[in-house]
Amino acid sequence: MENPEHDPERTAVPDQEPPVSCFHPSTKTHRFIGLVLMCFLCFGSYFCYDTPGALADNFKSDSHLNTSQFALLYSIYSWPNVVLCFIGGYLVDRCFGVRLGTIIYMTIVFIGAVVFAFGVYINAYWLMILGRFIFGIGGESLQVAVNNYVVVWFNGKELNMVFGLQLSISRFGSTVNFWVMESIYRWVAKYYAGYERLGVALFIASLTCLGSLICALFLGWMDLRAEKALRQQAAQVKQDQPFQLKDVLKFKPVFWLLAVICVAYYLAIFPFIALGKLFFERKFDFVPQDANTVNSMVYFLSAALSPFFGILIDKTGRNVTWIMLSIVTTLGSHFLLAFTFVNPYVGVISLGISYSLLASGLWPLVAMVVPESQMGTAYGICQAVQNLGLAVTIILAGMIVDNYGYFMLELFFLGCLFVSLIAAVLIYILDSASEGTLNLSPSARESLLKTRVSTDETANLLDHADSSDQEETDSGLPNSNMASSSAGESGEGAGGGARDSALAQSDRIRSRYISHLLPTTNIPERP
Amino acid sequence: MQLNTLIVIVLLSGTITVAQERKISSKVNPGCKTCTNDTILMYVRCDGASDTIHQIWDFTRSIPTVIFAVTKLKSSLDIVWDGNNPTGFYMSETPLYSFATALDKIYEYNDLKDNGHFDPNLPHHIHNLDHMMWHVKEISTTEKEAMVRVYGTLNNDRSEEHGTVAIKLDLIPFKDYAVELPHLIHTANSTQFDVSLVNLTSTPGYNASRFALHLLLVSTDSATETMRYTMRKSLDDEHTPGVFEVIEIKTPALHNYAIGGYLQFRPVGYVQAERGVASSTIAHVSYFNRTSLPVRSTMKTFYDEFGRANLLVQDMMVSFGEGGDGYYAQHNYTAWSFAVGYGSPPTDSFSWYVVLIISGGLLLPVLLAVSGMVYVLVRRHRQRYNSRAMFANED
Repeated sequence: MENPEHDPERTAVPDQEPPVSCFHPSTKTHRFIGLVLMCFLCFGSYFCYDTPGALADNFKSDSHLNTSQFALLYSIYSWPNVVLCFIGGYLVDRCFGVRLGTIIYMTIVFIGAVVFAFGVYINAYWLMILGRFIFGIGGESLQVAVNNYVVVWFNGKELNMVFGLQLSISRFGSTVNFWVMESIYRWVAKYYAGYERLGVALFIASLTCLGSLICALFLGWMDLRAEKALRQQAAQVKQDQPFQLKDVLKFKPVFWLLAVICVAYYLAIFPFIALGKLFFERKFDFVPQDANTVNSMVYFLSAALSPFFGILIDKTGRNVTWIMLSIVTTLGSHFLLAFTFVNPYVGVISLGISYSLLASGLWPLVAMVVPESQMGTAYGICQAVQNLGLAVTIILAGMIVDNYGYFMLELFFLGCLFVSLIAAVLIYILDSASEGTLNLSPSARESLLKTRVSTDETANLLDHADSSDQEETDSGLPNSNMASSSAGESGEGAGGGARDSALAQSDRIRSRYISHLLPTTNIPERP
Repeated sequence: MQLNTLIVIVLLSGTITVAQERKISSKVNPGCKTCTNDTILMYVRCDGASDTIHQIWDFTRSIPTVIFAVTKLKSSLDIVWDGNNPTGFYMSETPLYSFATALDKIYEYNDLKDNGHFDPNLPHHIHNLDHMMWHVKEISTTEKEAMVRVYGTLNNDRSEEHGTVAIKLDLIPFKDYAVELPHLIHTANSTQFDVSLVNLTSTPGYNASRFALHLLLVSTDSATETMRYTMRKSLDDEHTPGVFEVIEIKTPALHNYAIGGYLQFRPVGYVQAERGVASSTIAHVSYFNRTSLPVRSTMKTFYDEFGRANLLVQDMMVSFGEGGDGYYAQHNYTAWSFAVGYGSPPTDSFSWYVVLIISGGLLLPVLLAVSGMVYVLVRRHRQRYNSRAMFANED
């Protein structure tokens, strides 16, 4: 809704310049190629992120790193990003723009990967740390920039599915890394020895980042071409209202509630996986290998299911309902793990499913509540607070386990989930109170978008209503009418037809009104 | 519903605590005039409401031993000494029940399978503790605690170096969790037995050395009976983080008549003096074997005086470690604790902390739902009032 230029243009532009080939920016094929490039764009950084993990034993034997030195390879990546990805996102909005931003961040990632590999090759620990640090600067900001790309290209279309796919790719990148790095290392070991073979293996791994960089360049070119053809006006608008850092304070409350979910919900997932292996061994008497399998279930499921849940949410809309549903099922999963001895596969699988559902529904919402010109900063903030939460909680969770045990840790996770559930309910209330689109079906969103311009006049006429309560309900009439009528009937003309029938209209207004007051009751929208 | 159950459990455990309190009095080497500083026999008398538990903690004949004898109230125990050794235990009346446990041997075995389990087929070497010299490190004989800490050096026959075996026996006469991990429950009816093996040297040729403890279990039950092993699993590992099991070894009397002796412990050992989840390892318990009392031991003296021919004597092994942990040599340290007690073994209950959190977790959503409903009702009421006011205005 914040970028109403999309749809009118999609219909307007072909009039001027009909799509002659499938590579024309307005076609589905073009978007599909863009999608593939975006996926490969992330692949490199996720692949290289986990190279130390995949070669952990070799790092200990070849480079003689101890456990805390090894752990620093990971924490040097995450800690700076508590601040840096916020700045990275802001820079995308303010200075670079999404194209240049992506290319710059990808270059930084590539340089970081190469420096890290070189540090290992000459066995200089400080250089390894520097490499991981540079890699981290680029990595998370790159994710913010790619999120931006996704929103610009897919908002109002396959947005949820693409976010799901992005999540899949990130998990897939780590998984592929765990599959292939060991064989690459063994192959390199035929020609090199000691820490050199590890260094060379990492140089080979950094080639994936080079590949991603090429994707970034190509995508940049495609986006430039598409903008020239389709989004000229949009670019104009963007330059008219430059985004100031203090505008962050003007973000809607719904955005901050989303940020709360970003932190609180993910706290109950990632630290759980980090500490899960021992939990399954100790509580459920799993042998280490089986414990690993259960533990990896969450990532595996999210990689497999996210795109499909994305499609589901694209088709059904109602993101907030889906989010609430997935938080409730996550609560159930953690409850099973904490309070029963039921086979942990049950809990973990439902955890994985709920997590994928939430991730597919949550991230696209940010795009719906923040104007496009502030998208980078918004995603940057979400990622930053999430990183902060995770960094703090992984330490905190370790302390809880050491002093109070896994049972207490599970209670802590349940607490986090309650917080995120409350945030989700508040989003639902705020959104329906302010006639938001977050929890509408896609067709309702679309028709709302189309009719908003025409209803503005009607709304102006109604602005004279006196009491504030009255004003709220009155000015809500036209919009809610559009929403519920088009949700009920699929055709675009349906909104107009329903408006003619005074009786039907008042019925729907009433049902919509009651649903505002009782957010949890499901008023059937079909008349 | 669940909350109610919890409260009931907490209240019940509270009343049991009161009922189980005992008045303790302890003496070191009672009646011995010729004992030296390194003679250690602690006698702890625990007077309860209906019976008295006499505990003898003995190191005089080198084998660390804990003997429990339960009598009616107002009975007494006299010990006859010969130099540094007790030669007779005379009770004013025959005990109702008695049981004992002793750590008589330490096994060193070459864990070729690397799984921590002791297997008699593995190459092993037995350190008999019946020649150990024990030295007192700390002793406490107050009304609130009876405690003794001793250490002895264990010489390896084939090497010059020697390591230390340290033992702590502790009785605190009320129900609570021990301060130190694994936070076993202590009661007025039980004594905590801590043993640590520090810097023991491996037998040359053993590349995978681990040490296991050989325990004797003795009770005045029929010799044809057997000790019972039970493992309970709890949801709550807040007292011993990362350990969900409690193991109990019950004497036949306890198993059959709900009153007897027990050993209670968690299947966890520690490989560093700083105990924590990271320094924990698995403790494995073997099956019981029938055996006889060591010829030169305080238990032999005690039970001979006792005059009961029918005595159940069994042994068991406790070994430590898990695959890939680098064996004993990784940290040169292994520690383990168990509680030995009389009556029914204490059970875990949720702490107030957990009860508070769970009830908060359950109450908060209810509270939210109620306040949401109130909000809706108030709003609806205001709405109606407003619209009525508007109609009135229109009129």
